[in-house]
Amino acid sequence: MTAPAGSASEWRLLLPLGAFFVLFFAAPLIVLLLVSLSDGLALDRFTLAQYAKFLGDAFSLSILFDTLALGVKATLVCLIFGLPLAWVCVHAPARLRSLLLFLVILPILTSVVVRTFAWIVILGRQGILNKAAISLGLIDEPLRLLFSEVGVVMVLAQVQMPLMVLPLITTLQRIDPNLADASWALGAGHWRTFRRVILPLWLPGLVAGSILVFAACTTAFVTQTLIGGARLVYMPLYIYQQATGANNWPFAAAMSVLLMTSVLLVVYLLNMVGRTRSAVQHG
Amino acid sequence: MTVLIGRRQILEAGLAAGALALLPRRANAADPLVVATFPGTWNEAHRDVLAPYFRKKTGAEVTQTIALATDQVAKLEASRGKPPFDVAIMDEGPLLDAVKAGVLEKYPVDKSPNYRDLVPAFQDPWGPKISLQVIGIGFNPRKIKERPKSWNDLFNPAYKGRVGLTALNSTLGMAFMVDLARTRGGGESDIEPAFKALKELLPGVGAISANLGAHAALFQQEQIDIAPYNFNFVQTLKEKGVDIEFATLDTGIPAWRTSLHLVKNAVQPDLAVQYIDAHIAPEVQEDMERTPYWVIPTNRKVPLKGEIVKQVAKSQDDLAKLRYFDWSKINERRSEWIERFNRDIKL
Repeated sequence: MTAPAGSASEWRLLLPLGAFFVLFFAAPLIVLLLVSLSDGLALDRFTLAQYAKFLGDAFSLSILFDTLALGVKATLVCLIFGLPLAWVCVHAPARLRSLLLFLVILPILTSVVVRTFAWIVILGRQGILNKAAISLGLIDEPLRLLFSEVGVVMVLAQVQMPLMVLPLITTLQRIDPNLADASWALGAGHWRTFRRVILPLWLPGLVAGSILVFAACTTAFVTQTLIGGARLVYMPLYIYQQATGANNWPFAAAMSVLLMTSVLLVVYLLNMVGRTRSAVQHG
Repeated sequence: MTVLIGRRQILEAGLAAGALALLPRRANAADPLVVATFPGTWNEAHRDVLAPYFRKKTGAEVTQTIALATDQVAKLEASRGKPPFDVAIMDEGPLLDAVKAGVLEKYPVDKSPNYRDLVPAFQDPWGPKISLQVIGIGFNPRKIKERPKSWNDLFNPAYKGRVGLTALNSTLGMAFMVDLARTRGGGESDIEPAFKALKELLPGVGAISANLGAHAALFQQEQIDIAPYNFNFVQTLKEKGVDIEFATLDTGIPAWRTSLHLVKNAVQPDLAVQYIDAHIAPEVQEDMERTPYWVIPTNRKVPLKGEIVKQVAKSQDDLAKLRYFDWSKINERRSEWIERFNRDIKL
């Protein structure tokens, strides 16, 4: 069934998806860029004023910074909880593994809106978490979890966890357990084995998972607004308010371009980390 | 058993389906009328009361698209002459934007037999006012023992941390700020007193919802106990078993009117007008003036009843005398106020 690799006509298989992307992804992106550079929806006069307005305003910059910081925090939480989970998934007996995999994927199967509303019930003053903590005598007054950044990070980590765990499982599965044994046999200790052998092998999965989670968390409009409320403003809500509330489409477009650029920059940096570390290893 | 379908057929079918989706919407006798509606009890009232009545009268089906008024204006503006729906639903502020953007058609009054039964305050050349939203204070009677009387009660130090607000992108948020200014010597042309009061209020605020849908959840989860809220949303929550009561303000009852509109270049303009007329028909308005919708009727032939009579007004003529806002003045400064509100409340 498989065609010989590298056959000249194979690239044509990409045509349908390519056409789809040009039409529904590249074209709107160009429109977005044009709107961000204009001073109205008429698209007749072009200016950099929107970008200057954003970059020259401490309030706007702080929102961009908060958004990227939120992504970093949620990604770290996903890493801390995701890595052990991926490890257990890979090393569990085959039967248990498929059950665990199903549990990992389960959150993706329900709508993000429904899941986020469920979290409101969990995090609220009268929510499960606060009630349990009070009845256990851990706290006297309900903690402020809803409408706080801690709450947003918790929910984002849960909602986006599969994006971290799935690439990690793929990576971990491919690692030959004999490599660690070989390292020990050659005299390396546990730490050295981990640092020089295991970690570099994990790195592609860690980087892939982090990129996916980071990009998803910085743009998670639903979770950010429902759990964060109006006082924690992140870029997606800010863009939405400018576009529909204030009817300032060019400014909203400029902000979208800036958010996209900064997320891409972080993704690029993460990729570089992945590259250089493996280059050191194999170079 | 295997079913063999050539890949060419699949490809062709796929391409055809894709191409169909790209074609502009064109009217077909059997096509449903596409109408916009608000989220929450509004879309339920429209789906369960208005749509069946309209279907019985015209034989046509209705498809709803759920969006806030500002989102509708944005969609109509973006679609440039190929509107994604034929009937728009607006509050007073966004309505002025929609008229300015030129996305609405003048309402053909002569084709709408029920229009003349509206009191003049609810008639509008751009489309009839189908109802109005009354705002006041929603509060949890288990926690707030003394019935609130004015916005000043939100500042009561006893309620510190229990006060809820909502962002200015909703009409409720904007109307609250303007009325707060008005009760403190300002108004549409002078919002300063409201922002000054907001600074004073903020330490006591427990939560500010980014959208109105979350506002309900905040009361339900007892995250907040007292907040500016719409009359009919409170009634709906109450009937769902939430501990919540509505208090009208002694300083005058603020309200705004909600209206239906024929969209410019509508695909089925005649059906659209019949749909709008159906919404002001006495049968429909009477049927919506009940649990769980509590849509306040604007047709003179429909008697007011229940909590509406007890708390808001005895007749449509009374309704016409509530405290309405000058939205043209508010719209001029709206984006500036949204921006300022965001900066002031940011943690």
